[in-house]
Amino acid sequence: MNFVTLAIKNLLRRRGRTILTILGVAIAIAVLFSLLSFNSGYEKQLSGELDSLGIHILAVPKGCPYEAASLIIHGGVIPKYLSNSDVEEAKKIDGIEVASPMLLHQFYKDGEPHIVYGVIMNDVRRLKPWWKVEGRFFSGAEDNVMVIGQNLAEKEKLKVGDILPFGPDKTPFTIVGILERTDTQDDEFHFLPLQVAQRVFDKPDQITTIAIRVSDISRISEISKELENIPDIQVVTMTQVMGTIMNLVGSARTLLISVIIVAIIISAVGIMNTLLMSVNERTREFGMMKAIGASGLDIGRLVLIETLFISIVGGIIGLLFSILSSSLIEGFVKGIIPYSPASKLMTPEPGLIGLCLLFSVIIGFVCGIYPAIRSSRLTPMEAIRSNLE
Amino acid sequence: MKEEVILAKELTKIYRRGSEEIHALKDVSFAIKKGEFVAIVGPSGSGKTTLLNLLGCLDTPTRGSLRLNGIEVNGLKERDLVKLRRENIGFVFQQFFLLPTLTVRENIELPLLFSKRDGYQNRIDEIIEKVGLKARAEHLPGQLSGGEMQRVAIGRALVNEPKIILADEPTGNLDSATALKIFQLFQNLNTQGLTLIIVTHNLELAKSAHKVIQLRDGEIARKASSHGLSKKARS
Repeated sequence: MNFVTLAIKNLLRRRGRTILTILGVAIAIAVLFSLLSFNSGYEKQLSGELDSLGIHILAVPKGCPYEAASLIIHGGVIPKYLSNSDVEEAKKIDGIEVASPMLLHQFYKDGEPHIVYGVIMNDVRRLKPWWKVEGRFFSGAEDNVMVIGQNLAEKEKLKVGDILPFGPDKTPFTIVGILERTDTQDDEFHFLPLQVAQRVFDKPDQITTIAIRVSDISRISEISKELENIPDIQVVTMTQVMGTIMNLVGSARTLLISVIIVAIIISAVGIMNTLLMSVNERTREFGMMKAIGASGLDIGRLVLIETLFISIVGGIIGLLFSILSSSLIEGFVKGIIPYSPASKLMTPEPGLIGLCLLFSVIIGFVCGIYPAIRSSRLTPMEAIRSNLE
Repeated sequence: MKEEVILAKELTKIYRRGSEEIHALKDVSFAIKKGEFVAIVGPSGSGKTTLLNLLGCLDTPTRGSLRLNGIEVNGLKERDLVKLRRENIGFVFQQFFLLPTLTVRENIELPLLFSKRDGYQNRIDEIIEKVGLKARAEHLPGQLSGGEMQRVAIGRALVNEPKIILADEPTGNLDSATALKIFQLFQNLNTQGLTLIIVTHNLELAKSAHKVIQLRDGEIARKASSHGLSKKARS
């Protein structure tokens, strides 16, 4: 027999209480891990998603630029437009490698929103050279053709070569290509030649945004200023978009952090309460242990091992729960924050798992130290007096 | 002449409850020799348990001197008191104080966990046999009778090979037939050379002792051989 066996056997004496305390720790650690994991994944994936746009600057119609930029990368529609002449003006600016006009349109089918991008495919391929397609990309001269994202193809059971009635007039469109999975919002979209989209949706000469890639990123600020000289244009850089989204998410994150702090405090108070109750109930038992040769240190060590056992087991259960139900938790958190990247955000990173386990040990240590000191300081006489005389 | 394992001189213990002073023991002096069987008797509140706690180094006297195996207890630090207890004293309580999730064997083994002695497995088997629990070694306390539980407690007191056994009302929770068997076990241990000090209300048990210390109001009312006690009990 050793101290760990003795501690575990002691905890098993009060199974119900031990299980509830372990659950308290598990919940606190699960919330902590989920939040940290989500947060770390969020920044990484958001940054990756913005990179995957292949765009340094978005030129949008004057209005609320951040909302516009967010809608564009999220796949929304802005009720304001630029014109082809704005694109020509933009292209004249020195240092712009690609200035690709895009028209966004949204329609609903069976209650589900569908996003359509009217694009100049050659430009888009320069912005996103990693795109691969089953079938082929379309050229600017083609009519009634489209390329669609992988998720959309799966959802609508569409194949290359299928004819899809499309637009207000149900014009038959041929699907010439399906994008290989990109794990970004692109997987959900329809891509049409720009002029075709302008015609089908009756937006002649109108574009929603100009996606701009510069040849030297150190000149982004200078080029942005020049772009803003064009009367209709407002400029948003991807760094600004990232900052704005992170700010929007920040308030949701503050709420979550408050929740987690409350969860941890409740859990810590619960552990300490359980331990103090347990120590009080076992006062005479500790007295007996001292009488048969235990030192104060032995008793303190026993109480501390019990606490650490509770907190470590609780930590492991919390982590397992959090990892196994990460999709569910991710879905819930994504629902309450203003914008989130499409790809999976919560991944069980070893460093984070280690950090959360360390935290559960610290909770155990902090909560156990007072009861341990208190029990170790009991004099045997005080402890067993109620049973004597 | 046998050596004195306990020498108490003018032992005094005062408890303070608010401004009130309770004199639990007043100038108690006596000596106990190696291998003696001593019964401490007296009415409730007479100071029996206080005396037992002082003898077991569970408490320290307010005044006076106590030598245990030649070592002066007064002034010892907690660490030294723990060592003194581990090496010299085995405790048996009225309420047994067995850990309910440990088997008979594990309860008996418990003091070894604290004294950090290894290689005592054979000794545990010996003790289990000595206290008559060979067939119950893997049972939990909840599966034992009161007499068997007290045997486990006695076994636990013996495992560190103490020189003195201190027992506080060891038969207080037992029926008379079981109590008699526990007496016999104590007597056997005493004939094997163990010094035995028992606090008891049970005059029959006290009669089997070599020496009886009778306390009243914290003072020794009478020190006598058990023969003397028998006469007094009869009168």
